[in-house]
Amino acid sequence: MSKRHLLALFNDFDEAVAAIAELRAANIKGFNMDDLILKSPIEHPEVELVLGDKPVNVQWFTLIGACTGALLAFFLVSGAQANFFAQIKGGKPIVPLPPNFVLTYEMFILGGVFITILGFLICAALPAKRSALYSAKVSEDQIGILVKGDESAVAAFKAIFTKHKALEIQEEAGK
Amino acid sequence: MSITNLLTNWSDFRQQHPSAAHPHREYKWAMSIDLDSCTGCNACSVACYAENNLPVVGKEKFAHGHSHHWMRIERYWDNDGREFADQGAQFLPMLCQHCESAPCETVCPVGATNHTADGLNSQVYNRCVGSRYCNANCPYKVRYFNWYNYPTTENVWPEPMNQQLNPDLSVRSKGVMEKCTFCVQRLRASMNDARTQGRLVIDGEVQTACQQVCPTGAITFGNLVDPSAKVGKQWKQQQVDLNIDKQPKDAEEKAAKLRGYRILEELRTYPSVMYLEQLRESAV
Amino acid sequence: MEKDIREDIAWAQINKDVLKSLESPRRLYWVILLIALAMIGVAVGSEIYQYTTGMGVSNKNNSHVWSLYIATFIFWIGMSHSGTLLSAILHLMHADWRKPIYRFAEAMTTFSLMTAGLFVMVHLGRLWQVYYVMPYPNERWVWPNFQSPLVWDMFAIATYLSSSVLFLYVGMIPDLAICRDNIHAGWRKKLYTIMSLGWEGTDRQWRNFRITYLTIACFLIPLAVSVHSIVASDFAMSNMPGWHVTSFPPYFVAGALYSGCAAIITLFIILRYVFRFEEYMTLPIMKKLVRLTFAIAMVWTYLNLIEFASVWYGHDQTAKDQLIFKATGPYAPYFWAMIFFGSILPLMLAFKRFQTHLPILFVVSILLNVGMWLERWMIISPSFAHGHYPWTWDHDQWPSLVQWGIVFGSFGWFTLLFMVFCKVFPSVSMYEVKEMVYHRTLALKHKPAVKGDY
Repeated sequence: MSKRHLLALFNDFDEAVAAIAELRAANIKGFNMDDLILKSPIEHPEVELVLGDKPVNVQWFTLIGACTGALLAFFLVSGAQANFFAQIKGGKPIVPLPPNFVLTYEMFILGGVFITILGFLICAALPAKRSALYSAKVSEDQIGILVKGDESAVAAFKAIFTKHKALEIQEEAGK
Repeated sequence: MSITNLLTNWSDFRQQHPSAAHPHREYKWAMSIDLDSCTGCNACSVACYAENNLPVVGKEKFAHGHSHHWMRIERYWDNDGREFADQGAQFLPMLCQHCESAPCETVCPVGATNHTADGLNSQVYNRCVGSRYCNANCPYKVRYFNWYNYPTTENVWPEPMNQQLNPDLSVRSKGVMEKCTFCVQRLRASMNDARTQGRLVIDGEVQTACQQVCPTGAITFGNLVDPSAKVGKQWKQQQVDLNIDKQPKDAEEKAAKLRGYRILEELRTYPSVMYLEQLRESAV
Repeated sequence: MEKDIREDIAWAQINKDVLKSLESPRRLYWVILLIALAMIGVAVGSEIYQYTTGMGVSNKNNSHVWSLYIATFIFWIGMSHSGTLLSAILHLMHADWRKPIYRFAEAMTTFSLMTAGLFVMVHLGRLWQVYYVMPYPNERWVWPNFQSPLVWDMFAIATYLSSSVLFLYVGMIPDLAICRDNIHAGWRKKLYTIMSLGWEGTDRQWRNFRITYLTIACFLIPLAVSVHSIVASDFAMSNMPGWHVTSFPPYFVAGALYSGCAAIITLFIILRYVFRFEEYMTLPIMKKLVRLTFAIAMVWTYLNLIEFASVWYGHDQTAKDQLIFKATGPYAPYFWAMIFFGSILPLMLAFKRFQTHLPILFVVSILLNVGMWLERWMIISPSFAHGHYPWTWDHDQWPSLVQWGIVFGSFGWFTLLFMVFCKVFPSVSMYEVKEMVYHRTLALKHKPAVKGDY
């Protein structure tokens, strides 16, 4: 069965939250709560109260990146020193630990930052093409709710959105 | 493989210098300069210019501090409040001290200056990028930077002076740091000769240019490891030890008869050049 | 208590006001841009002359091997630190007042780092071999000397530059989406479309965005501290009297934050005036910024005094002589100017009446940076003039016009980058100002009632 997309714009975050709560309560056939996406101009951590906790995995990338960066730096630097003529400089050991720790520290951060960004792009699925249902209003001051459901659920969606004073309801063109 | 190399040789790689545990095995080039014999004649400096292709920068650049005297004669007037010192100036020939723990080596970003197996402080011109950090960190300020491209500058080696350039070593272009090498080209030649003959260099076989021309024989140069070398005997006689940072002359009251000292030893650079203090009536 | 920002400001108004700053510039903009280009021209000309003739034309010599290039390098590196301080530390501490002003501060961080990086190169005797400093695999297994503080510098600056560019960029993605949505044609549309990565503000994007931004902020704080500590190590790790000071790393970090904060005040006033950002860059925020600057100025003063005190009280006669030389010798006027601009002038900032007086603050903040530049110069030149070895003392060295030209040009380069940034990217963070407004209205709307089981 073909799925339909619907975007409703709300003036107020509270109205959008109320609409989401009702969508959840209504238990519409052919619609799964996971298919609901909230689009907002600012971050609303409170939204998790109605959408439910969703896992964030960026920090695992951070951990792996930072550890890899540090290990890589330490072994590459020490390995390079061990190969570079094995040459004594300034009476210091050929593999001097304090300077290598400085470099390890820097690479720890570099690895951490780079892989965190990579993790962000992967977890947030960016870069991506914007979905067809998008309103510039969302980046201004309105809250959008994007739902995906069966043909049959559209009427129910619309009823709920209108009840909660949706300013505008966009439907996917075509299909 | 570098990591395997690293892990197998770890304890060797953690070895510090100078230390009794890992001394120089065959060669440790060192010098001693007797300030009592030095007359300040500058012959050593001239010989150095000739031997090492040092650019003659001219009056104006010299005044700007752009000179290249690897071996320089410093003049000190100890006046004791009088207009002229009774016994004239005191002279100090100053050259790269070839420190065992050279401050210049650690700071070079590209590793252009290193401690060699025969105890020299080497300078790799091709590798130098000219950050001048080595000079900044050298307490003796015996490193000289090529502020201009002297080989192409007029009147540095005017015709036919270019004919006397030493073919055994290069001329240096702009942006490169240079310094006294203990006439490394001579050392290498005699070490190679000795090796083909299956022996070590005999004392006196090789001389530095400054030593060779010194009319009073104030400069002694040789292999400190060699027990028969004159330089080693002098060091021993003066109780100067390469590996300590305070010699008996300065450490003990009763050692007043000793003359050997090294310059700025308290910085723990462990220089390879020992100076013999001048004997003066005022000093005795 | 005055409010940092008006709560009843319409969100659409925020978009409109900030986007207005991206519109075609006035004629004065082009005039300043041309002046900046001319300044860069002076620097490029000087550098070409120096490159072809040799370092000698900068009038350094064998005891003064470093001079204004390194001093100005530290100056620009230092300037870059406050962007991070303002952005990352205040972000972690949930200090809301950072929100309208952190964007340009971060841009300042990036651009001053880019300026500082140039000085490393200008300083090198063989610029054409600069890649030797980088660790790259090669057939001869030759590597840079990892013991050298200059190589640490290279690592630290590369890390800091790339991380702060990423921090700036990631924090700007939602704003770039706003630009994309409001600009409909031309190269800008393309640029914003590509750079905003298809940001739609979905809950998933925001969720990951928040943790990413927070994580990078956490990384940037120790990074910023380590960067300037490493720059300080260039000096503290050497054996030069006047450099070999244990307290140098914190002293440098404090100095960096100090000059950066002063620069933020200067740019704050300029942007507020030029873009009519009175609604966002408000006086209460300025007041907080000025107080922060004052506090850091006092920290710097303390560390400066403690450095003098420890040199004076220590046993190193050479270092002590050098300190006396600095304060009484030929460099004395600059030394005391540094003390005046760096430690005495900021006392003005303690008075309420000056804390919001923009014309006075503008002048004072520039003078503070003059003082901080002098401080860096006073670390370099007098130390070389009076080192360990008396025979090489040279008290008369004066930088040549080539050096001054390049230092002068670097300000043009910074101005150019910053001006281009302000016209291409929003210099006030729109989405975060909205957040600020939202949280304040929210706080007013729902006053939580105290419950029994609290």
